Amino acid sequence: MTMVNELARRPSVLHIFKVYYPDLFGGTLSVIRDICVGLKDSFAAAVLVCSQSGGERRIVVNDVAVERVHSFGDVLSLPAAPTYPWRLWRRIAEHDLLALHAPFPLADLVFAFGFGRRRPLVVHWHADIVSHAALRWFVEPMMRRTLRRAAAIIVSDPVLVENTPLLREFADKCHAVPFGVDVAKYDRPVLRPADVNSRGRLVLACGRLVPYKGFDVLIRAAHSRNFEVWIVGEGRERDQLEQLIRDYGLQDRVRLLGSVPESERVKLMRIADVFVMPSVTNAETFGLVQLEAMAAGRPVINTALDTGVPYVARNGIEAITVPAGDPNALAEAIETLIDDPERRQRMGQAGRHRAMTKYSTTAFKERVETVYRMVVAEEAIAAKDAGSPAPASRPHTAGGLVSAIQIAAALAWSDMRHRYVRSLLGPFWMSIQMAIMVAVLGSVIGHFSNASAVARLPMLAASLTAWTFLNSVVLDATTALQNSASLIKDRALPPVIFLLQCTFRQALFALHNAVVPLILWLALTPRDISGALVALPGLVLFIVCTLALSLVLGALATRYRDIKPIIESSLTLAFLSSPIIWTPEMIDRGSRVMRFNPLTHLFAIWRDPLATGHVPMGSVAYVLTCLAALAVASVVTVAHLRKAAFWI
Amino acid sequence: MASIQLRDVCLDYPLYGAYDFSLKRRLLGRLFRQPGEMRTIRAVDSITIDAKPGARIGLAGPNGSGKSTLLRLIAGVFPATSGELEISGNIVPLLGLGAGANLDFTAADNISLLLRISGRKPTQAMLDDIWAFTELEERMQRLPLRMFSSGMLMRVLFATATAFPADILLLDEWLSVVDENFSAKAEQRLQKMVETAAIVIIASHDHGLLRRTCNTIINLDHGRIASTVSLDAPSLHPLELREKRA
Repeated sequence: MTMVNELARRPSVLHIFKVYYPDLFGGTLSVIRDICVGLKDSFAAAVLVCSQSGGERRIVVNDVAVERVHSFGDVLSLPAAPTYPWRLWRRIAEHDLLALHAPFPLADLVFAFGFGRRRPLVVHWHADIVSHAALRWFVEPMMRRTLRRAAAIIVSDPVLVENTPLLREFADKCHAVPFGVDVAKYDRPVLRPADVNSRGRLVLACGRLVPYKGFDVLIRAAHSRNFEVWIVGEGRERDQLEQLIRDYGLQDRVRLLGSVPESERVKLMRIADVFVMPSVTNAETFGLVQLEAMAAGRPVINTALDTGVPYVARNGIEAITVPAGDPNALAEAIETLIDDPERRQRMGQAGRHRAMTKYSTTAFKERVETVYRMVVAEEAIAAKDAGSPAPASRPHTAGGLVSAIQIAAALAWSDMRHRYVRSLLGPFWMSIQMAIMVAVLGSVIGHFSNASAVARLPMLAASLTAWTFLNSVVLDATTALQNSASLIKDRALPPVIFLLQCTFRQALFALHNAVVPLILWLALTPRDISGALVALPGLVLFIVCTLALSLVLGALATRYRDIKPIIESSLTLAFLSSPIIWTPEMIDRGSRVMRFNPLTHLFAIWRDPLATGHVPMGSVAYVLTCLAALAVASVVTVAHLRKAAFWI
Repeated sequence: MASIQLRDVCLDYPLYGAYDFSLKRRLLGRLFRQPGEMRTIRAVDSITIDAKPGARIGLAGPNGSGKSTLLRLIAGVFPATSGELEISGNIVPLLGLGAGANLDFTAADNISLLLRISGRKPTQAMLDDIWAFTELEERMQRLPLRMFSSGMLMRVLFATATAFPADILLLDEWLSVVDENFSAKAEQRLQKMVETAAIVIIASHDHGLLRRTCNTIINLDHGRIASTVSLDAPSLHPLELREKRA
């Protein structure tokens, strides 16, 4: 049934990146767009990005649904979009495949925490993080986790895998898929033999105005030479670059054209004499724009980076490669080409040939599609092997404690559901039992004191419910490990699960019992909700103390067999000697035993606020001290629980 | 990538039951205890195993030679007393089928609970798949396990335990299901599970079985490795399987 549906519809891909059209133009974005458009017959694409513009949240760009999460601006080159991880997490389940365009640490955050484990992930590695190197220690472990979890990594050139330490660790899942360029777009309407302007001195560069693009180097290179430089693109460096142009007095020869439409850019590519890509850091991994210049038949000058850049346009064949960040070498190279029209033409033709043969859009599309299909198919096989639909097939291996709590909760839930199996009265026989106990004890205690017995009933019921909880948790804990011996020894489950299970299970039972005090409280008191709210922290403290007590005593009773009877008799003694069914007011308040009894205070911290609205700070301090001791004991116990398998 | 690395791993099994560890004995015993009292048994004695994906390790040896204890040590049940232990990959210990089953619960509830215990979220599809494998009637899903015959019970537990593939599979004895018709099917499923797991460790007394399924056999004696035998790739002829069952 599921299989038929799978065949009928295209699998959907969610592209995850920081920004998308129409907020920005650039190489990475055009790659994402080309993938979305190129694969639209086999994959339904959707895009999730951030946007500062504050326009429509959901828009459609080139038939692709784009969701834009609001961002408050860029912080350390990263959009400050606090809701992005949340939206990503919500969207993951709707898609069959996730395509993360790295680097994007905001998305790594989601994957690092283990969300979206159930969906296959492909990472398109566009660049390493080069700027803000100081934050690397923080970001790199997250990126590593993402890559570890990825089913495949797509890079634009194999040299990236060799030169990026992080990628080398995952070399076996890297696929080199060079970007493609549509050469036809750069065909000239008429090809004239005098194609190359012999006087040509127009140098073109394209790209976002950001530091790593190295446009400042290009401007410096133009100083005291005589070529013209046009730079296409927009970005946050604009002011600095303009200042630089003014400083060198180059306003007449160097122009920042700003962003121009794609068709305009194609025209500029065609009329330029030399194309320069002066990028200065390894953030430039491929240089799609130099490939476009090659497609337009332009000679290229690029820089000797450790990335795919000098491999796309090779030194001496399609390009002249100069050291990055060296204005003099760059100027020399530009002048060499400007002075040699024939060489320009030769290089341009070689570039166009290479773009046509090695970097076709069809090849790019097909290879990306192959990787996507492979990943989706692997997932389907894994799901089939597991005998279930994809989403639920993988076991959740999230951190030990989290899975321990999940298993304990599942066991407790099952215990509760089965408590009523073969019962005569159904789910609330426990509550009825509690009601009877309250009625009987209430009528007896009523004779002790002169206060109205009826008015005291809600508090009596609440105290009994709480005591039943504490008593049962501790008693259950003493036998929990022995009762679960086979699960511990044969299934290798951590023993702490079964101690947690006691608290969880009894908490569920206590909720049933709590119906009795709740009804009495609603019926017999003025229903003052503020007292109940003040009592909540105390109640939480009560539960935490119970949990810690059960861990310590549960482990002790398993290790030393005589502890269990001691605990049983102590509990009875504690019940009688603590103000549970009676209250401190009924007896001499000065009783020393009562004042030192921790249970007195454990009950006082939530009962007093409930009755009077005041929190007894003395009792809270006493309980917190006890809890601190218990917490230390619990930590020691949990550490020793590794040995529990020997004890049972 | 699944891997198991044990380096000089020892396990001293404390003998709590046999010894009086009481406070009285602790205080007084110091005065007049005979030297050389044995309080622990060395169940696993400096064992070094390095298993890479593809390893099929058989543990052989007489009763009490430490086979099961070693499996439990690898599964993480017992902490090692000394030595280094490095394990990566998801371990599925099939050391006993009955663990975690509650006879009062219905079959369907038991399956869900067992799946949750192994860290999966049960879905109806999983349940249907597992039930289909047991070849039992649909309506029996709603019956408590105590109504099942022992053969039927084994079917349910076997189908649940072997429903998902494992990176590292630990088997204490070949899980045998005694039903004539079902055991062929069970055998096949277990065989498939062994094939798809990256690393398999089987403890067994059945040398024929170990030779058929494993590529390394480790003979244990008193917790030590007495000898290690490397075999060629295991051959799995259906004929041999049938022989084994007979």
